[in-house]
Amino acid sequence: MHRRCSCSRRDFLARGLYGIGIGAGLPLFLNRTSAALTAQAIAGTSVEKHPERILVVIELAGGNDGLNTVVPYADPAYYRARPKLGIKERDVIHASDGFGFHPSMVGFERLYKDGLLGIVHGCGYDHPSLSHFSSMGFWHTGIPNGGDSYGWLGRLADKTYDSGRRNMIVNVGTSQSLAVRSAQHSPLVFDDPARFRRDGQDDEKRALASLSQPRQTSNPTLEFLAATAQNATESSDFVRQASADYQTPVDYGIGGGLGGNLRRVMSLIAAGMPTRLYYVTYAGNSFDTHVQQADLHSRLLMYTADAVHGFIEDLKRIGRADQVAVMIFTEFGRRVEENGSLGTDHGTATPMFIVGKPVQGGFYGQHPSLTDLDDGNMKMTTDFRRVYATLIKEWLGYDDTAAVLKGRFDTLGVFTKT
Amino acid sequence: MTTVRAWRRLGLRACLLLAAAAFNATLGADAAAPTRSMGPGPAEWANDLSPIAASDWNALRAAHLLERAGFGGSPDEIARLAAMTPGQAVDSLVDFDRLPRDLPPFDHSGIWDPGMDPFPPSRAEAVRLARERGEGLGEKVRPAGSQRRLQPVVDKFFYSLAANGIETQRLGLWWANQMLSTRRPLEEKLTLFWHGHFATGENKVRDYRMMLRQNEMFRAQAAGTLRGLLVGILKDPGMLVYLDNGENIKSHPNENFGRELLELFSMGVGNYTERDVREAARAFTGWTNDVLEFKFDAAQHDDGEKTFLGRTGRFNGEDIIDIILAQPVTADFVAGKLYRYFVRDEAAPPVRAALGRTLRDSGYEMRPLLKQIFLSRDFYSAPSYATQIKAPVHLVVSTYRKLGLKTVPTIPDFGRMTASLGQSLFDPPNVAGWAGGRTWITPSTLLQRGNVFRDVLFPGVKSFRPPDRAMSATDQGVGERLSRGMDITEATREGEAAPGMTAESNMMVDRDEDYNTRYGGYKGYLLAFERTKAIPRRPAAIDLSAIAQAAGADTADKIVDHFIGRFLSVPLADKDRAVLVEFLRGKLGAGRIQPGDALEPALRELLYLVLSVPEYQLG
Repeated sequence: MHRRCSCSRRDFLARGLYGIGIGAGLPLFLNRTSAALTAQAIAGTSVEKHPERILVVIELAGGNDGLNTVVPYADPAYYRARPKLGIKERDVIHASDGFGFHPSMVGFERLYKDGLLGIVHGCGYDHPSLSHFSSMGFWHTGIPNGGDSYGWLGRLADKTYDSGRRNMIVNVGTSQSLAVRSAQHSPLVFDDPARFRRDGQDDEKRALASLSQPRQTSNPTLEFLAATAQNATESSDFVRQASADYQTPVDYGIGGGLGGNLRRVMSLIAAGMPTRLYYVTYAGNSFDTHVQQADLHSRLLMYTADAVHGFIEDLKRIGRADQVAVMIFTEFGRRVEENGSLGTDHGTATPMFIVGKPVQGGFYGQHPSLTDLDDGNMKMTTDFRRVYATLIKEWLGYDDTAAVLKGRFDTLGVFTKT
Repeated sequence: MTTVRAWRRLGLRACLLLAAAAFNATLGADAAAPTRSMGPGPAEWANDLSPIAASDWNALRAAHLLERAGFGGSPDEIARLAAMTPGQAVDSLVDFDRLPRDLPPFDHSGIWDPGMDPFPPSRAEAVRLARERGEGLGEKVRPAGSQRRLQPVVDKFFYSLAANGIETQRLGLWWANQMLSTRRPLEEKLTLFWHGHFATGENKVRDYRMMLRQNEMFRAQAAGTLRGLLVGILKDPGMLVYLDNGENIKSHPNENFGRELLELFSMGVGNYTERDVREAARAFTGWTNDVLEFKFDAAQHDDGEKTFLGRTGRFNGEDIIDIILAQPVTADFVAGKLYRYFVRDEAAPPVRAALGRTLRDSGYEMRPLLKQIFLSRDFYSAPSYATQIKAPVHLVVSTYRKLGLKTVPTIPDFGRMTASLGQSLFDPPNVAGWAGGRTWITPSTLLQRGNVFRDVLFPGVKSFRPPDRAMSATDQGVGERLSRGMDITEATREGEAAPGMTAESNMMVDRDEDYNTRYGGYKGYLLAFERTKAIPRRPAAIDLSAIAQAAGADTADKIVDHFIGRFLSVPLADKDRAVLVEFLRGKLGAGRIQPGDALEPALRELLYLVLSVPEYQLG
């Protein structure tokens, strides 16, 4: 079956064809044999209500200090607990009702003023864990104090997208996050698109492509490696070219990091990658500000706000702002009272952010009390899975959120514009 | 997988090998290709910790042992192990202190001057101190009224970051050479394990001297006792800095240190309470460092009564360690981690419990546990055999060993190679170290695992840019603009973004009149380049033609089989082997090969393919 399809490159990626850019010598495999079947595969299953919509999830690793991000400047308990670290009211970027942003978050100020930034107060879960790895695991699986082999985004993909479709999930990073681990939809994971390629001359690449077929083996590690090799061969050229082709005058902020990764996501969206779920990390446990928090946290928030604002501006520029929503989370907030090292220790409830043109901007939920605490930590007021459910149902249009999240969670009404 | 023709041909050689290996060095070349079917043991060996019999020993299993307890080896080295009994082979690796260790110590550049200690925690803090005292980091502030009075201090701060980063790169190369040349490979494998288990990173510690001191401590205690390691690491200046224990004081205990000790280093989540974490933190108050030495600050120590894991007393840090060691779960946890590193990911609960018992019964000495593991049937069972994914450092070092290299090539750069695969020595991603296993593999890193070796086999010497002399693109831009005659303010301004479109971070670079941050970053690099020794750059000295000739491989078929046997831990399917043979025949023809110029490049291309197949990732 060596027939060249006249479909677009995007279709190739969605159906797992390879051979783009490598050379005429490679056979093209078609999963179906007729144009009609091909068209059906591209259209997807009837489960998808909004086939053009994209979700970008940003993970801030380390436990971002929510109280100094969304500052409750009207609450005197805040200043009593943080005599040194508290952000002075005159410095806060005022938003609404006694809440505002850390002064370095100029990017968020702009988004908020344009009505594109939704903030959900006090997100968390019952019996919170103060361990980075445990708590992050719970946010990844969407099953607090439980366990699952797959991530919430992985399970969502399994339910929503036909198993024949490839590259529905992209994880920009050096390793695959549990959040995107899926039974049927192997996420495409890479960090530097320019290096996402196989070196060598054409005959070497051809030989390696044919050596990257699935293996019949009783060695499960080998099976996994061969499947990954096949995925890599199929996707690398497209990703590399998309990234190299992409030009923008929009400023995503200093250096690489989150700004760089969002720019990579943008290049794939602009190039027509069929991906629907993007996962990006601000990694390195950077937000774990136990010591000398002030300057460090200020920089972290600045880079984050710059990057997200740049991303939204760029979406507007290419006319895709209606199709993309961004969600930002962290694995826990931090203790209300500052510690003796001008920092803060692990805490519990924390704000989540939902950003984009389709979002009804503003504050959702209720800020936790700063006086009625649980061993020094805030009591959460919104289960974080409600935000997940909101994204799954209101944004991506998949109604059976209980099946994905293994429990019922009401949505928040954030996407009422759509 | 049936490569019957290959097995028959190679099986005969394997028998000859085993009979004569003790005597004839040239037979070592054939040791690479014994019968594949004698690799993994029968099904009932899984989870059986009883030792294998001498009759179960063969070259494939010796190769497996050397790959796990070391960094693999040449056919000669494997043959030598195969000629011993299993007990002798394991002892030769585990009792490594019987062998000499005569590798050169690290050659310091000399980047620290006295004014730099103690180093401030941030640039902002350095600036604050400089404003107060009129000097900082050994540099004087410029006189009142000068432009950018604090610039010398800021430059020195960035110099320190850059110079320590470069010196850490040199440290990584030094360690890689230790791993490559040592006669005690298990010692280095263990040092690497402890480095990942008790993880600290130079990106936070910012002092290569501390990383070296810690590395030497791990090496000295590699196969010692867990108590020695715990005390060693909890008093280690690098770890104290990494986990902020200098801030852990009587009036405000900081629980970071206590938490990671319990969660990651000794017991694992679920075996202690939050209260235990806080009480442990109190016991470690006052444990700090005076630059490179441990210091106990009695004034900051909370010597009150504490209740920890059900015991009460006026505990200090060492008492906490002893209570932890008294918990059965500690031995299980640490033994489980060693099992994961040396054997496979999933430890069956009875196996983990048995290994924990061994560790406990030996007073937490590593050697009895290691010997039990390496001699066990479980270690040679199918679930354990060639099912691990080689970690990046292991992948590169073991490849160099299999090539018989004597020094680590510096084109391409070792640190860059392993970093591109997700592992940098002295810089783990966080205190949990490297997750390992399948997390090493993404579509991108899998392609890159082949690419790094293409750079070794076909080094781009002319286009090579040494990372120890690299600046970020931003800093380079500053340098270019300065050399064009722009002043500092203009040269450090970023980009051409439209007004209102500039990100906040880019607007902040020259805001403070007393210094310019971006200029400091640039200047810091220049100073660091002056004061650090440059890594001498040389590509790999490989001669694949000689390797093929020594093996008597004079047709494409034989060369492919030799390479497969020498480098891979599992056979290739017939059709995949055929791709390689076809490829080589396409370069060299189908007949007997004559040595000549065309041979080496063709062999290198073939080896690139072999090192890029999925099978090569299996260790």
